[in-house]
Amino acid sequence: MQSGIFHSSYQKDMALRHTPAQKVRLLLIIVFLLIFPFLADNYYLTLANQIGIAVIGAVGLNILTGFTGQISLGTGAFLAVGAYTAALLAIRFNMPMWITIPAGALMTALVGGLFGIPSLRLKGLYLAIATLAAQVIIIWVVTHWDTVTGGVDALFVKNYLWFDGQQVRFNEFKFYWIIMAVAVLVVMAAVNLFRTRPGRAFIAIRDQDIAAEVMGVNVFRYKVAAFATSSFMIGLAGALIAHWRQIVTWERFTIEVSILYLAMIIIGGLGSISGSIYGAIFMTLLPAFLLNVGQSLGSAIPFMDRIIPFIQQAVFGIVIIVFLIFEPEGIAKMWRNIKDYFRLWPFSY
Amino acid sequence: MKKRTVLAIGLALLAALLLAACGGGGEAEPIKIGAIFDLTGPTSDVGTPYAEGEKGYVEWINENGGINGRKVELIAQDYAYKVDQAEQLYSQYVNQDKVIAFLGWGTGDTEALRAKIAADEIPFMSASYSINLADINEAPYNFLTGTSYSDQMVIALQWIKDDAASKGVDAKVVVFHHDSPFGESPVPDGQAYADANGIAYTNLAMPRGATDLTPQLTQAQEFGANYIVIQNVSSPAALLAKNAKSLGMDVQIICLNWCADELFVKLAEDASEGVLGVMPFSPDLTVPGAQDAAKFLESKGEKLEDYGLHYVQGWTTVKVMLEGVKRTLDAKKELTGANLRTSLEGIQNFDTGDVTAPLNFSPTDHRGNDAAKLYQVQNGQWVAVSDYIHSRIEAKAHK
Repeated sequence: MQSGIFHSSYQKDMALRHTPAQKVRLLLIIVFLLIFPFLADNYYLTLANQIGIAVIGAVGLNILTGFTGQISLGTGAFLAVGAYTAALLAIRFNMPMWITIPAGALMTALVGGLFGIPSLRLKGLYLAIATLAAQVIIIWVVTHWDTVTGGVDALFVKNYLWFDGQQVRFNEFKFYWIIMAVAVLVVMAAVNLFRTRPGRAFIAIRDQDIAAEVMGVNVFRYKVAAFATSSFMIGLAGALIAHWRQIVTWERFTIEVSILYLAMIIIGGLGSISGSIYGAIFMTLLPAFLLNVGQSLGSAIPFMDRIIPFIQQAVFGIVIIVFLIFEPEGIAKMWRNIKDYFRLWPFSY
Repeated sequence: MKKRTVLAIGLALLAALLLAACGGGGEAEPIKIGAIFDLTGPTSDVGTPYAEGEKGYVEWINENGGINGRKVELIAQDYAYKVDQAEQLYSQYVNQDKVIAFLGWGTGDTEALRAKIAADEIPFMSASYSINLADINEAPYNFLTGTSYSDQMVIALQWIKDDAASKGVDAKVVVFHHDSPFGESPVPDGQAYADANGIAYTNLAMPRGATDLTPQLTQAQEFGANYIVIQNVSSPAALLAKNAKSLGMDVQIICLNWCADELFVKLAEDASEGVLGVMPFSPDLTVPGAQDAAKFLESKGEKLEDYGLHYVQGWTTVKVMLEGVKRTLDAKKELTGANLRTSLEGIQNFDTGDVTAPLNFSPTDHRGNDAAKLYQVQNGQWVAVSDYIHSRIEAKAHK
């Protein structure tokens, strides 16, 4: 019988996995990720790939918003920077994907860091508006800098593996491995980030920036670093979108996308890496689920056909509100509560 | 307690998702066509009648014996103009429901799926008529049932050239366009035509969600515009017409297809009077090609006038796609996307009953036609003022 998990040494406190159950679960997840693509058809692979990309982006945004406390409405635009950089390198210079994708991420880190500079002076809602400016400016540049980005026209991305000019045809199955590999790397990097000095500095800034500065944290440097790190990951997601879909248009990277990513981390759990993953899964699967229910309902009750789309939209909003009311700390907290309930049974509380 | 309830709901949702997703398979008999509609998104005002038209045609053809005795099943959903959802639905319909063709809607989804449909060999028709989609190399499975925006622009400029000559003035054209790929799509081709024909030509983007376009119109005045071409949807176009009227500008406004409709007349009220429209789909609902739709709706106790020309547009788009299906079946070929594409490419001089100019597809050109009639708003009705005008521009001239 347990009444909680207690750490008796620093080593245990720093451990990533505290209980045997966590190790087993991790193993199960790895096995599932390895087997899944062989069992799933293309539809589920599409969903899995969408989730993988959303996870990368959401983890990135959570580092900035959840861990460092800097709200950002520019995710859509940062995705665009990654996507356009990767796409243009591939199209203009026939560069292979293993160069274009990291390059896209680096470029986004640079741009993200730049737009992070105002965060020294701006906080909360004011910073939100400043990042909104990033969203608007970047999308404007992308659509109007014709000579570089091709303007509003869609870019047709080429996928190369080497410099030999041979285009490779990828399908959902092959991209699954690329996207999941990147997602796993990003998650591991993020989890470990918060066991290092910069990671702890981010959290200190979030909790009380003045106190952090008093303790010797260079607030400006770490805020910009948080923007750059976060943007790096978002840029990775953007670059992956470009190569996965092979088409880049700015209409994919609107303000709605920024808000969707914010919703993901809020619903999943701010300041939680696993929360970012849950949120990404939830926000990708919920519309798909609602569409499927709508489809079955529509064929079952024909006269409902015309109003179902509106019900779907409403349900999407209601489900999110309900989730937040019951657990403002997100799905990550719900999951912890469920675990605690069983572990501490019968003496929870 | 509460948390357990949430957990239960969550698990139920998950189970239902799996069930719903697995429920797809079965019956190989019907001809399956996938489609996405915008019923709740930003373009739902015109997306809804278009979607109803698509559904209507499928219902109508099934009531009339289907295609060679086979029923048509339209598997469709609202995607609210969201690219991600369009992708999810597309992937689901193609991979699980095994649809052989796909009907899209806007520029966003059509562009985003362009590479996918080529790889999956799924013939695709949407209501986006960008000339980029006629590029056989980059979009081998896209077909345009409507006259491309570039063709529409050149048709408008041809009319302007003649009109200015007859009035003895120099034509000065300002193109007002939506700030998007959709809006900018015909601008370069228009520029090329204007340069070749000595027409002064410039373009201005209409900011999204603007409530007053007077600043942009003032710029047009400074340019000395006597003709304005609008490539935008009805509501902002109506705003522009009203603003121009209240500024007392002496200009001839010409709408390309997405602003030339009944909604424009309704919204612009008396400012719409005298406005011209390049309309690839006839706003005259009494043309022979619209009669099946009219009778079908009448049998349901509804009226075609309530839906308008976008209904006929959706109706005709499915009709063309299914004509390809019929030809594939008639040729006793297996109904695959690749064979359907070949059949569609064999469609020559296809008569849509005066809804559009006759359609021609070929292995080198997926533009249905390059012609449209000009209509003018007279007493609140669109009235034809020309016969079909051909643009005669090459599909790839824009690059």
